[in-house]
Formats: sequence, C-alpha cells, structure tokens
Amino acid sequence: MAPSASKTSTVKKKAAVYITGESPLVEEYAELGSSHGYTVVVQWNEDRKRDTVYRRSAIVPAGTSLALELTNTDLERKKKNLQKLDRALPPTAAIISSSVTVSASEQATWINHRHRLSGCSVLPSFSAGSVIEVAPTVYTPVETMEVVRRFFASLGKTCEFVEDRVGMVLPRVVCQIINEACFALQEGVSTPAELDTAMTLGVNYPHGPIEWAEAIGLRQVEAVLVALQKDLGEDRYRVAPLLRQMAMTGEWWNKKPQEGS
Amino acid sequence: MIKHVGVVGAGTMGAGIALAAARSGLDVILYDVNDTVLRQALERIKTDLKQGVAKGKVPADEVSSIVTRIHPRTNLSDFHACELVVEAIIEDLRVKKDLFKHLETHTKTSTVLATNTSSLSVTAITSVLRKPERGIGLHFFNPAHIMKLVEIVRTRATSESTVAFARSFLHDIGKQPVLVRDTPGFIVNRVARPFYGEALRLLGEQVATHEQIDRILKQGAGFAMGPFELMDLIGIDVNFAVTQSMYDQFFGEPRYRPHPIQKQMVDAGRLGKKTGAGFYTYNDNTK
Ligand SMILES: NC(=O)c1ccc[n+]([C@@H]2O[C@H](COP(=O)([O-])OP(=O)(O)OC[C@H]3O[C@@H](n4cnc5c(N)ncnc54)[C@H](O)[C@@H]3O)[C@@H](O)[C@H]2O)c1
Repeated sequence: MAPSASKTSTVKKKAAVYITGESPLVEEYAELGSSHGYTVVVQWNEDRKRDTVYRRSAIVPAGTSLALELTNTDLERKKKNLQKLDRALPPTAAIISSSVTVSASEQATWINHRHRLSGCSVLPSFSAGSVIEVAPTVYTPVETMEVVRRFFASLGKTCEFVEDRVGMVLPRVVCQIINEACFALQEGVSTPAELDTAMTLGVNYPHGPIEWAEAIGLRQVEAVLVALQKDLGEDRYRVAPLLRQMAMTGEWWNKKPQEGS
Repeated sequence: MIKHVGVVGAGTMGAGIALAAARSGLDVILYDVNDTVLRQALERIKTDLKQGVAKGKVPADEVSSIVTRIHPRTNLSDFHACELVVEAIIEDLRVKKDLFKHLETHTKTSTVLATNTSSLSVTAITSVLRKPERGIGLHFFNPAHIMKLVEIVRTRATSESTVAFARSFLHDIGKQPVLVRDTPGFIVNRVARPFYGEALRLLGEQVATHEQIDRILKQGAGFAMGPFELMDLIGIDVNFAVTQSMYDQFFGEPRYRPHPIQKQMVDAGRLGKKTGAGFYTYNDNTK
C-alpha cells in the first residue's frame, strides 16, 4: 500500500460527515454532529421528521472527510455499508464503526483500506455520555486513532482506548444487567415496575433495567448478548427467552402483577 | 397503624431499623444478647440522630422522644405486645432458625415474624414456625434509617394478610416496598451481580483497566460509582461471599460464577477501603 494511502487526515470543523446504520443511532449521532458544527449527511433513517438538521442521501457526497457506520443488529447490511464506504471515500478519510456486536478487526478484513477503520462503542440512548470507548484494530495506525480522538473530542467526548473485543465494556455490562432482570421477570420473581424501583432505589442505578431495555431497544440488547455468546462460547451470555420473545415481537410482556404465587 | 415493633439484633441493621420505626412514632423493643451491645447501639442511634438534625432531616426537639421510644431489652418475652418482630442477627441459618423457634413461643399467634436476611432462604428460616404463614422477609438496605427501599420477600407459605401487614408497616415508616418471591438474591443482589461479574471478567480478559471500566460506566452510562470503586467500598470479601452464595444457591449457574481475581484480592488481604487497599489504594485520611 502506498504510504500516502495509509494515512488518514484530521477532520476540520464544518467538515462533511456521512453516517450509515440503523435507527435510532443514526438520528442520535446526526443530531450530535450537526449541533457541534459538522455538515451531516445520513444514508438512511426511519424518522423523516428530523430531516431539518441533516440531509439524507444514498450516495456518499464528494468531500466527505469522515464516515460513521452505526449498525449493530444486521451484520450483512453492516458489511455492505462498510464496503460501499470504502469504495466511495478517499483513502485519507477515516471510518469509525460500531464494534459492539462484531470486532473492529473482523470488520477491517471486509474492506481494502484497512488502516482507516476504528471501532467504537455505540448503543441507543448513550449519545449524551461524556466518555466513549474506542478500539483500534490490528491494522489501525496511531494517525487514524488520533483522528478518532479529535473527532470525539469535538463532540465533547473523551475517548477510552480499549481492546477490540465483542461487547466492549458498557454494552456488555448494561446488557447483562438487563438480561438478568429478564430472567428474574421470567421466573416470576417480581414485576417490571418493581424490578426498576428496586434497582434505582436500592443501588442507585441511573435507570431501572426494564426501562433501560426499552430506551436502548430490545433488538439491540439481544444482538449484543447473542454476539457475546457466540464470541466467548459461554452459556453465561445466553439470552433470556422472554427478552428474545420481546425483541422478536416488539410486544412488551404482560405487565399485570402476578396473582398469587 | 401498628404501635409496637420488636427488633432482634442491635447491630448495624437492627439499630437502623429501630431508628426508622421510632422516628415514625412507633414503640420499639430492641433486643440483643447483652446490655453492652445495646448501650453501644443506642449511642450509634444518638449519633445518627445528631447527623439527622445537622442535615435538617430530624427536628431537634423530637430527638429525645425518639430515643425514649426505643426500649433496649435482653429478654425475648418482652416481645409479647409486639405486632411485628424483625430479626437482624448474624447471617447464619442455624442460629436464625433457632431464634425463630423461640420467637414463636414468645409472641402472640397474630404477630408477624420477619427476617432481614440478605442471602439466606426466607423459606428455610421460617420453615421452623408451626404457622409459617406468619413468616416473611423484610430486606432493608444499609443505612436502614435512610435507604427508602425494602424488599418484601414472600415464601409459598406467607399469607396475604402477612404481606398486607408488612406493606402497611413499611408505609407507616416511609419506606418504598417491592414484593419479591423468595428466590436467591431477591431482586437487588441478583440483578446487580453482572455489574461486578462482567467488570471482573473484562478486567481479567484485559479488555480495559479497572480505572477505565469505572470511568466508562460512570461517564458513559451514568452509574454513580464504578464497579471497582463499589467493590472497594462494600468490601471485596463481602462481595465475593455474596457472589459465591448466589452461585451455590443456583447450583452452578454460570452467570453467577465468582471470578479468580476476587479470591486473589481476598487472599492478599486487599479487601478495599477498610484495609486501605483494594483495586485502588487509600491513604489513612480517606479510609
Ligand atoms: N450490613 C448490611 O449491609 C446488611 C444489609 C441488609 C441485610 N443485612 C442482614 O442483616 C442481618 C444483620 O446484619 P448486620 O450487618 O446488622 O450485622 P451486625 O453484626 O452488625 O449485627 C448483628 C447483631 O446481632 C446480634 N446477635 C447475634 N446473634 C444473636 C442471637 N442469637 N440473638 C440475638 N442477637 C444476636 C449481635 O450481637 C449483633 O449485635 C444479617 O442477616 C445480614 O445479612 C445486612
């Protein structure tokens, strides 16, 4: 690879950022980017009402200097998105891709310009956090990670550089808490509302696990747990059947308190 | 409204429960094995009340009447007038069972008998009662006079009227109850397991350092404390024991498996804040 092709260049303010991925992550990051002065274009989004702060375009606009790929559930689509970005972007443009359900290094093997890709941890509802995990791949040079660090700093976020492992830190911990709550619910230990009350009042959690599951989205939570179980090969991460059912049907479970026991 | 409540065990939890009840106007019989323990408990209660006054939570002119409503006793027969007795003695199944047998003979048949156990089976403790429908778990959190949450733990034998009675008592003393079926760890200790367990695995797999994991979960997810700070505060030995107990009670369910790092910290005597070092080190003035 030519030396010029193994460098990514710093993203200037007002620069164009192209976002691919699934809702509501694309909306969250499009708004965050727009509100911090970037010209944001998203490939696709569900919520058309919000089109006021950013544009939609199926084509990567010329002059795009950075791309975000924010898919966690449909990995086939993620692969297609990354390959499209890799073809369309100049080699100096970095791609920051969610590496919650598939490692960033594995993603890098899907594309040609492997040096430009860095992993990051994104799940819906956490975009306001002041710290974000990022993971260099086995191919990522320091220059690319410096681009990533500066980009997140410009959004008001400090980067924590962690190892490139499926689940990363925040998604693995939070989704296992939700999974445990779903097992407890399934076993009739208590009700959804009481599980939430117990965790917020008893140990001061920022959200009850059931309320958190709704905010993140059950399909996202399930995808993280399935990926962990596959990657680590352990029963510890098997998905509570109730959680899986909810993720598939989109229907919340019976919230009526149990009669008797 | 319930008027007389008994508390067995004047340790950390018993004193806190007695204070919570006395503050709400209830008369409390506070029992322990000897007068020295009871005297120390009352001193702690007075200190807590002083802090309550300083923080504007307790009116200064109520302090003496609150204290006089707490009656230290060393004889179980003094519970005869109590409508509810809450047990908060050492976490030992044999000792608790033994106590419940005695409590049944020293109280009216209508008295509700509650245990504050964190990790033992409420079913096992109350199984010694001739009328196990009187038995229930009331799991308070430390400090019991401040923390609002109480887990009401019902067994298969616990009657509806016992649950209703527990609810109205907790309402009277300003607590927020949640109703839980008797299962290991109830809600809080169970659902909190992954917060520590996954953090330990992430550290063991060297995905991130303990400082990074704490920062990510605090500033990324909004937790008030990181898992390693919290383990240091709780005591790594205590946290390890709770995890081990959950793992055993679920017969080896892998979600509750303790981590070798916990045992190694205990082996090294690095138990957290109380020993001056755990995952973090603490100098003397922050202990
Ligand atoms: N400390 C906590 O954070 C916490 C929280 C919730 C529940 N609990 C549970 O509450 C109970 C008490 O815990 P603690 O931390 O207050 O313990 P502690 O050691 O502070 O107090 C226990 C008290 O019980 C007394 N005692 C022991 N055996 C007795 C007996 N046979 N008869 C009468 N009194 C006896 C002791 O003298 C002591 O004063 C335990 O079951 C524990 O699991 C503790």
